Amino acid sequence: MAVSRAVEFARRFARNRAALVGLVLILAVLGFAIAAPWMFPRNPLRIVGRPEIWPFASWRFPLGTDSLGRDIAAMVAHGARTTLLIGLFASLTATLIGVSVGASAAYFGGWADEALMRFTELFQTIPNLIFVLTIVAILGQKIEYITIAVGVVTWTPIARLTRAEFLTLRDREFVQACRSMGMGDLRIMMREILPNALPPVIVLSSLVVAGAILFESSVSFLGLGDPNVSSWGRLIGDGRTLIRTSWYICAVPGVAIMLTVLALNLIGDGLNDALNPKLRDR
Amino acid sequence: MQRIIARRLAQIIPLVLGVIVLSFTLIQMAPGSLFDVMTAEQQVTNPEMLEKLRHLYGVDQPTYVQLFKYIWSVITLDFGFSYRQNAPVLDVILQQLPATVILMLAAIAIALLVGVTAGVLASVKVNTIWDNLISLGAVFFFAAPSFWLGIMMTVLFAVKLGWLPVGGMRSIGVEQNAIEATFDVMQHMVLPATALGLFYAATYARVMRASMLEIFRLDFVRTARAKGLSRTRVTIAHVLRNALLPVVTLLGLQLGTVLGGSVVIEAVFSWPGIGSLLFDSVMSRNFPMVLGVLILGSVVVAVANASVDLLYMRLDPRIRAR
Repeated sequence: MAVSRAVEFARRFARNRAALVGLVLILAVLGFAIAAPWMFPRNPLRIVGRPEIWPFASWRFPLGTDSLGRDIAAMVAHGARTTLLIGLFASLTATLIGVSVGASAAYFGGWADEALMRFTELFQTIPNLIFVLTIVAILGQKIEYITIAVGVVTWTPIARLTRAEFLTLRDREFVQACRSMGMGDLRIMMREILPNALPPVIVLSSLVVAGAILFESSVSFLGLGDPNVSSWGRLIGDGRTLIRTSWYICAVPGVAIMLTVLALNLIGDGLNDALNPKLRDR
Repeated sequence: MQRIIARRLAQIIPLVLGVIVLSFTLIQMAPGSLFDVMTAEQQVTNPEMLEKLRHLYGVDQPTYVQLFKYIWSVITLDFGFSYRQNAPVLDVILQQLPATVILMLAAIAIALLVGVTAGVLASVKVNTIWDNLISLGAVFFFAAPSFWLGIMMTVLFAVKLGWLPVGGMRSIGVEQNAIEATFDVMQHMVLPATALGLFYAATYARVMRASMLEIFRLDFVRTARAKGLSRTRVTIAHVLRNALLPVVTLLGLQLGTVLGGSVVIEAVFSWPGIGSLLFDSVMSRNFPMVLGVLILGSVVVAVANASVDLLYMRLDPRIRAR
């Protein structure tokens, strides 16, 4: 039965053309990220040619070179790895925090719910980018800190959704049955309720990846990212001083960010529609 | 109504306390002693001065005493002193705050204007080419990083076409009267506010379209039509009014993000607000200033949130009744 449900789900997803476009796009980005070390085996930050060659002007540098003569295509391909990894791990962090907070709030109810939701509200109030920059300022510009910081500012919607899902499941008969059998709270939450509550949460997490990528790109655009990794935001930041003559240096990585975020959003929407087929007809 | 307002405003207090505690926790997490970093950055070497500062920041006392001292100093509006600007942190922030608030308000205004109009248009012309174009635009602006959009708009409208200034808030070295000055600021604001606002416009357009379509199907709309009201009248007076509620909710939830977004936009356009200040402070490791911006920024968002909630109550009598 589980298999046929998955097939049905995939079929519904595949009928959504926008979502398929998203899927193809993200697979392309993923392909570039994985193939980067083979396509551009040398250090992408190495100077390889004349500076400021425009895109499509030279066969050797399809996306042109920057102000120092570095290959933009190589930097974009290598940047894809950073961007995707940060997005993924930040979203994992956010999901972990959000699910724990939301699940505990709904399951235990009462003052625990009240306290945890106030906590959630606190993180909703704090201007998120300012918080990320504060963490970076205090802990330092390391990729791990930035990833966790982005996760810490994006978990609130996940907590709210998990709480709502858990609230509808908490008093169902199968949960009561588990309780009367003497099962522990943690086991009921993890093994019984969570699997039922997870699908919409996963959909939201995929959208959080998109948000996380935008955050990270802002941080590295400001020049506050990890100086040891190439990322798309930083490429835009580096190219900013040359917008009068060579604006393509900013444009190319920006298009890459936009397409990736767009693809993730389309997939998220598609998953959402496939999960709630009734909503789609509206 | 006054009691409701008072109660809603009182809810801000625990939030602000939470932010202060969080800031304090962040300081404690700093590698090494934050105090050492601070004094090193600000090049305080005089041992007598060090001892005075050590006592001032309560470094020689247990953590919980430090926490209460910190909370107390923030409540009494003492955010410390910034050696970089040679002025109290609070003064510097308050001086920069108006520019950011103006930019945020302009961005929100653009977002509402563009987003609501586009959403209404899409819902009235549902499943036509208009609807599709608007959806496409929304998907595009929802994915484009605002700072990149800002740079691209600068290239087009400021560098290539020369219609608008590249950055800053005022033209320098020009005699202006009040009206000219206002117009000048507005001209400088067009690009940053649009770059910041378009992302939210995309969100509002999508939400507005969905909520319009949902309300179009409700019984009272059919009744209004049956009463003989024109389609336009029903759309504006009945559907639009009700459909705005989710947009207002969203607006309240996103204020913190707008403030965060303006940090980056200010960096792109050299807008002299909180964002530029924060950027400069992060770069120079001016911690009292960074934490001051974090705390005051949160207060601004909390107060604005409460205002949005109260506005919501005005818009939706059902909530007022509760």
